[in-house]
Amino acid sequence: MLPNDEEQLTDRELDAILPAWKAPMAPVRMRAAVFPGGSRPWWTRLWSASVHVPVPVACCVALLLALAAWRWATPRTVYRDRIVLPAANAGADPSQLRPVTELRLRIVRSADVSN
Amino acid sequence: MTPENAFDQHHQAVYSFAFRLTRRADVAEDIAQECFLALVRAPHRYDPARGSMKLFLFSIARNLALKHYRDDRPGEPYDEGFQPAGIDPRQSLDVASAVASAVASLPELQQEALILFEYEGVTLEEIAQIVGADTGTVKSRLHRARERLRRVLVEYRKVGNAHAAK
Repeated sequence: MLPNDEEQLTDRELDAILPAWKAPMAPVRMRAAVFPGGSRPWWTRLWSASVHVPVPVACCVALLLALAAWRWATPRTVYRDRIVLPAANAGADPSQLRPVTELRLRIVRSADVSN
Repeated sequence: MTPENAFDQHHQAVYSFAFRLTRRADVAEDIAQECFLALVRAPHRYDPARGSMKLFLFSIARNLALKHYRDDRPGEPYDEGFQPAGIDPRQSLDVASAVASAVASLPELQQEALILFEYEGVTLEEIAQIVGADTGTVKSRLHRARERLRRVLVEYRKVGNAHAAK
């Protein structure tokens, strides 16, 4: 039940009472909720950064990486041998050419060739 | 003004406003967060020509509090027709809770006008802008709110005099 109309506070009394009702302080966690990145430097945010990739894409990428690693780790054998002939003597007189008395084949692997 | 600057300057005022409207710390926190998230998501929605950042944030907070009110009390109108019973001072442990109860007993539209004017220092013109009413209406709501509080809080006259004497 309300008091009589005659019984009431003056404006001054009311103004004095109203400030008694204080609001609590805003929680500190509010900032983190609004700005998840906060004011941290970009390089610290990298540690918590994430990339969402669909599972099939991730599987394909993993398979390709595994294949590339296997290819890189396995030594490749080159069978392309070549016959090294003596360099032709550009200034030789054709009349002085003699038939080859002995033909010797020398197989040099590509890995041994310096150039 | 960046959203971070706006947060630093106004988060306490927005939180206090939401708390006094809802009288629940958890709801006030949600409302204040939503206000600033709305600003972060769409900063272009704030037009400095239409008022200060504080008024913009108060408008969002008011709408969210209104939504909370409607969700909590479906079917009950948010207007001045609602006349709750007077408070019983014996249930109030101190003057602070008595004031809180007395303000809570006001019709919603009077409540928000009183809270914005008395506690947040918003002018009548700015309140009119926030609540979408004309200044005369806001002035009338504020007058009726104070009139009612003067009667409801009469039991605390001594406390008021003590505060006034300080």
